[in-house]
Amino acid sequence: MMKKWLTIAALALVGWAAPMPAQATDVELTGWPYQVDVVRENLERFSSQSGLSATFNPFPSNEYHTKMVSSFASGTNFDVVYVRDSFLAEWAAAGWIVPLTGLPGVDEYMSDLPQGIIDQMSFEGEVYGLPYYSGNSVFVYNDRLMKQAGLNAPASTWNELMKQAQTMKDKGVMASPIVIGLAANENSILRTLEIVAAGFGGRFFNDQLEPVFQEPNSGARKALAWIADGIESGLINQASMSQGDGEIDQFMRSGTAAFSLVTDYEMKVLNDSEQSNEAGNIMNSLVPGSSDATSGTIGYVRLYSITSEANKTRAWELVKFLGGKDATGVYYVPKRWALEFGLGFSPAPLYKDEDVRNSISGWIDPDLLQEQAKYAINRGYRFVPYFSDWEIEAWAGFQEIINGGDADSILEELAENWNELKSEY
Amino acid sequence: MKRKNLTRYILLYLASALFLVVFIGPFLWLVSSSLQLERQLVKVPIVWLPDPLSLASYKEIFMGAFFDEAVVSSHKISSSYQSRIYLGSFLNSGIIAFSVSFFSVVFGAYAAYPIARLNFRGRYTLLFSILVVRLVPALALAIPIVLFAKKMGMNDNLVTLILINMSFVLPYTIWLLQAYFKTIPTELEDAARMDGCNRFQVANKIIIPLSIPGLTTAGILAFLLSWGEFLFALLITETEQSFTSTVVAAMFANDVDVNYVTIIAAGVLAVIPPVIFALFFQKYIISGLLSGAVKN
Amino acid sequence: MGAFGQNALSTMTKNPSSEIPQGRLALIFSAPALLILAVTVLVPLAYAIYLSFHRYNLKRAKRPFAGFRNYEKILTDDKFWDSLATSFIFAVSAVAVITVVAFFLALLLNQDFAGRGILRALLLIPWAIPDVVNALLWKWLLHPAFGVMNALFQMGGIIDQYVAWLTTMPSAMIWVIIAYSWKNIPLATLLILAGLQTIPKTLLEAAELEGANAWKRTQYITLPLLRPTLTVVLIFETIFALKVFDIIYVLTSGGPGKSTTVLGWSIYINTFKKLDFGTGSALAMILGLLTLFIAIVFYAFLDRGEKQ
Repeated sequence: MMKKWLTIAALALVGWAAPMPAQATDVELTGWPYQVDVVRENLERFSSQSGLSATFNPFPSNEYHTKMVSSFASGTNFDVVYVRDSFLAEWAAAGWIVPLTGLPGVDEYMSDLPQGIIDQMSFEGEVYGLPYYSGNSVFVYNDRLMKQAGLNAPASTWNELMKQAQTMKDKGVMASPIVIGLAANENSILRTLEIVAAGFGGRFFNDQLEPVFQEPNSGARKALAWIADGIESGLINQASMSQGDGEIDQFMRSGTAAFSLVTDYEMKVLNDSEQSNEAGNIMNSLVPGSSDATSGTIGYVRLYSITSEANKTRAWELVKFLGGKDATGVYYVPKRWALEFGLGFSPAPLYKDEDVRNSISGWIDPDLLQEQAKYAINRGYRFVPYFSDWEIEAWAGFQEIINGGDADSILEELAENWNELKSEY
Repeated sequence: MKRKNLTRYILLYLASALFLVVFIGPFLWLVSSSLQLERQLVKVPIVWLPDPLSLASYKEIFMGAFFDEAVVSSHKISSSYQSRIYLGSFLNSGIIAFSVSFFSVVFGAYAAYPIARLNFRGRYTLLFSILVVRLVPALALAIPIVLFAKKMGMNDNLVTLILINMSFVLPYTIWLLQAYFKTIPTELEDAARMDGCNRFQVANKIIIPLSIPGLTTAGILAFLLSWGEFLFALLITETEQSFTSTVVAAMFANDVDVNYVTIIAAGVLAVIPPVIFALFFQKYIISGLLSGAVKN
Repeated sequence: MGAFGQNALSTMTKNPSSEIPQGRLALIFSAPALLILAVTVLVPLAYAIYLSFHRYNLKRAKRPFAGFRNYEKILTDDKFWDSLATSFIFAVSAVAVITVVAFFLALLLNQDFAGRGILRALLLIPWAIPDVVNALLWKWLLHPAFGVMNALFQMGGIIDQYVAWLTTMPSAMIWVIIAYSWKNIPLATLLILAGLQTIPKTLLEAAELEGANAWKRTQYITLPLLRPTLTVVLIFETIFALKVFDIIYVLTSGGPGKSTTVLGWSIYINTFKKLDFGTGSALAMILGLLTLFIAIVFYAFLDRGEKQ
């Protein structure tokens, strides 16, 4: 018995003692493992055009933040990294990513991007990268279920939406037709509330970064009340409280929800017959509004950022290739993501590109998408380093309000919390 | 009397059936879900039995691991990066789990021996301070450990993970083994010492050979704990040469398109090696524990 | 121990009248294990203690010494006391469920009947499932729209409509405890089973002849004799349960609201979300001291058991 163990252990020792090939590359890309093979193909193209060798190293998506924070904190050197806009302020404040200011050709790329996208890649007035993919949250409905309930046009206000849901329930089509992301995580409850509040004509903070959500009759209060009513009447599925952005897909794909707010790129999966039972039935329309606002949405950006001054020149070459134009002068990589994978893009020339338009219209209405983008609210308040400290308390607070907690005291406390953090930083 | 026996058996088998439903049922459901098509997984009402039985996720993982792109695509399967490296990462997890269980049993046995057999002041203090090192949550030690690993150039290294896992496992190993050693009759040891053996010889020649079942039990506990370890595997590994199975399994979840069947299939596969390992050594576990492993 | 031992060892030592002090011998034996523990735990622990006395947020350049201010801030915050209470509710319930179920399961597996071996082997399955997979498994079982629990409960007439189990209290807490216990029961069962085997059958048979019923036999013979085993099980399980994190991370993220925010989750939030290592480390130290206190209580209990 002991001998067997010894042999096994000896083999194990040989296993890890074997030297790992050390590769020296000119520039390293670090991100999450979405379509790793495609990313690597793109890097090959980069290498053949620039003569610089490049590698891509992925870490798990859901734990990307945890992994990167611990790596940065222990002094790991990266060259180019994927960044979600929700981490941007934090990483920039900690000095883990550096601004593009002063690099050759930056202004030219900025002129192709809408101001909203540039804002979402900025911290304290400086831009920190080029977009990997970007877009907005959109409102989706199941056309088949709408027709079954005798409803013809998608709702244009939140209150009308609730009435449509009631109709569906009354006609016996579905008891809880609305599913929205209200889970306590980074891509759910606060985003959903911001979108609904925008439709009621309100924001959470003003341009001076002062909280306004706690004020009487604020958009945030209306949004919270609308959601709390929906949850109580059951028209908004109670399950929403534990569902995050990608997870609500499943409800639309299975036909267990008729209305939802999703990120634009999810439209492709929703209408993919391999994965969805409702392929072809899922449509998008403008996010509902109210008498105070036509519509509202919030944008998102995933970007490529440079992590240090050390290898900045080469890193910028890679960022330009990935987020901008390749050597032939076209937006090669962003176009590929849009064409083959349905990822949202921001450079203006791509909106006019015939290939792109034809391709994406298979799952989403491109004109509506562009129209929706006009209603994206300015979220400058998101790009301060203490936002992440605040929001994590806010998620729980908002859930409590929806579950019947005292809105006045909770909102007041959250506003105080913000002001405290603001004065501390 | 016969009647009483019959009732006893009925009760026993009823209890056993309940046990099976509660403890094995959930896992079976996971297996069944892994054999469905993605769109059936999200079907209402629920699909009880996969129809058609779909091995797509398993094929993707196995073919991706053993064949190159051309062969895989000729079977109309597209294998993703994650599924290609998944089985390979089992090797890393296996190396870690084997090494941890081997070394923690060896070192643990030597540490447990004096606690069980010697009479010295601070015996209980030693026993408890060994446990105390595990009182602070690993989460709080994560950044300091990663920082030191990095400073010593030991990040992205399986040896580091083996050491870290050993520090989790050792306290439990020592506790189990010291209790086990106490069950071995002292007469044997006394006799050996009369023949001129010193303490080290006694430990090596008497205690350890007599404790094979106990050692195996501790080894299995060590294997299971380190096979499933995620946090430090995530923080220490940096390249696919060293990713463990838990890290690659986490990569199946994605921002953009989540394929739940593959995630579930990956979860099912992750359970197989430790179960095989445990079943293989099971006779030792039971007999080891049955000899009164934890009797003080 | 005694004369023989001293004679045997005296051959090893220069001075024939004394042997290596047993304390030093113990140290030599446990040196490799202690060394590993020291390097991998004590050094980082020392650094974590250092952090806990500093205002240390990665988002800020200045990281001054803060004395006990982190601790003071935590102890005067209601949120800390809430999550401490949540941790205790979780730990006490989980440990109780695990110990009780494991005890009865061990009694079952200790009976003599055909198929017992298979049951013992199958018991390994929940134990072998990695924590992360276990959490995903339960998330899937409890899914509000496609979960098998909903389908089964509806078939059984327990619920009319599918329920989102993890979004309301107390059901979220109950399911977290069930999911956690499910995976941790097998180890406890095996340990108790081992303890049961050491109870002499003759003792139980004698009691039966004297007319003691099954309950009385359990109460007056099995339980007292199992005390050392149960103490070990309780210590292990309490330490595990007070540090719980994985299952909360996947199933509830501390919600709904803050209802399942245990200390382990607070530590994660402070360290990895707020990047406030000072507060995170201080919280961990408080949890560590608390667990130490509980371990000492168990120690007293164990010690008393030993002396009897």
